[in-house]
Amino acid sequence: MARERISQADEWQAWAQRYDIEGGTRTFESGLTVKVFFGALFVGLLMMPGSIYLSYVSGQSGAAAAPWVAVILFTELARRSFTTARRQELYMLLSLTGAAVGSGMQYRSFIWYAYFVNTPQAVSYEIADKIPAWVVPAGDSVGVLSRSLLHPDWLLPIGIYLLTKLLGTLRFVSGQYILFRFTADLERLPFPMAPITAQGATALAETTGKQETWRWQVFSIGSMAGLLWGFIYIGVPALTGVMMSTPIQILKIPWIDFTQSIEGFAPTGVFALRTDFSQMLIGFVLPFPVVMSEFVTAMLSQFFVNPHILYRNEILHQWHPGLDVRAVGLFNGLDFYRSYDMGKNFSLGLVGMAASIPMIFKLRGTKKEAGQRGSLATPPNRGDFPLWLMGILWLIGMAGFVWLIHWMVPNFPLSFLLGFAFLYTPINSYITARTFGVLGRDLFEIPYLHEITFILSRYEEIDIWFAPLPDEDYGAGTQGWRVLELTGTTFTSNLAATLLIMPILIISGILVQHFIWQIAPIPSAQYPFVQMMWPINATHECLMKTSLRDGNSEMLQAIRGDYVAAGFTSSLAIYGMLWVFKYPSMWFYGIIGGIGADPGSMVARLLGAVIGRFYMIKRFGLKRWFMFNPVLAAGFACGVGLVGMGTVAIALVSKAVIVKPF
Amino acid sequence: MEKLASLIIIIGTVLWFVSVLFLGGSWQWQMFAALILTVGIFTAHFWEELSEGRNKKTPKDDN
Repeated sequence: MARERISQADEWQAWAQRYDIEGGTRTFESGLTVKVFFGALFVGLLMMPGSIYLSYVSGQSGAAAAPWVAVILFTELARRSFTTARRQELYMLLSLTGAAVGSGMQYRSFIWYAYFVNTPQAVSYEIADKIPAWVVPAGDSVGVLSRSLLHPDWLLPIGIYLLTKLLGTLRFVSGQYILFRFTADLERLPFPMAPITAQGATALAETTGKQETWRWQVFSIGSMAGLLWGFIYIGVPALTGVMMSTPIQILKIPWIDFTQSIEGFAPTGVFALRTDFSQMLIGFVLPFPVVMSEFVTAMLSQFFVNPHILYRNEILHQWHPGLDVRAVGLFNGLDFYRSYDMGKNFSLGLVGMAASIPMIFKLRGTKKEAGQRGSLATPPNRGDFPLWLMGILWLIGMAGFVWLIHWMVPNFPLSFLLGFAFLYTPINSYITARTFGVLGRDLFEIPYLHEITFILSRYEEIDIWFAPLPDEDYGAGTQGWRVLELTGTTFTSNLAATLLIMPILIISGILVQHFIWQIAPIPSAQYPFVQMMWPINATHECLMKTSLRDGNSEMLQAIRGDYVAAGFTSSLAIYGMLWVFKYPSMWFYGIIGGIGADPGSMVARLLGAVIGRFYMIKRFGLKRWFMFNPVLAAGFACGVGLVGMGTVAIALVSKAVIVKPF
Repeated sequence: MEKLASLIIIIGTVLWFVSVLFLGGSWQWQMFAALILTVGIFTAHFWEELSEGRNKKTPKDDN
């Protein structure tokens, strides 16, 4: 039987609606109360050290769990005090705790560059002595060698960072708000994915009422599973690391590498089984066609295309027996995939435009039928701001940012900075805001934009690679304002909370990062994930930052026009043929994601998708399973976070005691 | 218009295969194929969105 054609917008909206299990509210209340503010601060700051530590040990910060922990504590306190927690309060708590836990990670780049500046790679690529002082102090400075972020050597990098953060807050708050007003109020785009975020707060707010619903039960199941997994994957290595020189890993972190085992029959293929089985939860949530097509394509890539087409035709020519997954990945990237991926990404941009431009035409054509569409009037008590004020704030933020970059790299042409700031950023943000408003995700991206800019500017100094550029995207953030609206949280309370907590987090973030750095060098055996990944990341960074040097770098040599064209055209052909044969466009994104990827990294996700599709949906029914999903995932993240933070706290205290001489 | 879009896309895909298999994979021929595919994909989406819901179907809940 012939397949029926379904438009991309309808297809994606249908997926989004599966998660949209209740309508939004339209009465607005402040979510910021004294108890919410101090509750978020307390839990956030308590978990921040563990989050940073976890990111160095296992590559995952667990920061996603912290807000849920805060909300559960809050709701339990409310229940025991015979009071209730409002949905607005819980959403605000989620938001503030997330900011508090994540605040330590904002200084991670200082630790990275303090490592990078003294790596053999940076020295051999002649970068080490050219890294600007506003990025990191010199490699032989006391601030770097004594591993102290509080040393005066760090004054300039941290000062510059704080200034960019202040200006960034001005730009992002105002830019996102303006786009929200235009896309959500004026054009009434649906923002289909926003209700998912609002679900978690709703689930837990209900528990403080008189009647508990299914949500609490599902959340608890997820939490128990998370506790068990967290103990195996994070708890055991962290606790044994306290007592032994080499921690016990029940499952090797981050993967078990089978690449050398398959090289006999699949030379240039990679297969490293990622041991983080919490990815199963992602498999539950993601659309099944995406997960399945991604895995099948990755298998075909590594076991057929790489060894039997690309290797035999000497396109993948640097490979030799005995390499591990990282080395094979690096060589395959240099030989082919870096160029191919560049073309592939361009095709994503074009496909996004092809999908969104006709939508704009359609929406404009049906403008009069939509009733309230076309009006910028705001709902009462939402806490809106004057558009002109936000416009001025954005201009001040952006002008200040451009001036700062010009001060950092004075010889870089100012015209490029102005073009990025006042032309590219607004257009790029508007396109993204629209695609989020209609499809709930970003589609538009111009890959290697910086590299192209640097070539066109004819600027050859390396400092520009370390400078931030004003090519920004506020589009994704518009969804956050829509979530505020759905949860009935006033905009003013959200802004006030953000501004209140920011200075506290800036200071505490530096202190915690400094303390963790003092415990042991990063990377070192105490931090297995960064010890594994940072050396290879340093090589990548050197390749990237020297790619335009002398016009003869390894990076430039790795980019071949015919391979870029192959990536671009083959991706368009795949998309086109799927459309011709009426297959869902979801498959395209799966296939594109799977080309050249390691199938071992997808096994857990595939397992989750298969269990969800063939067991859970049959057991619970499609609608109920998709109602359970976000709540289950939130519970699991909460369980992992709890056990992770507990064990890491023990490890931190223990190491802090041992490391102090007297 | 649906058939026209399909035809353009098929021509673009065949041309890409030809450019890789018989024309040495030169980027010029590949990009020419990409141009044809782009026209086909834009035609397809304009037809989808501007056909006033005549072809509108609700996706099945089976995937």
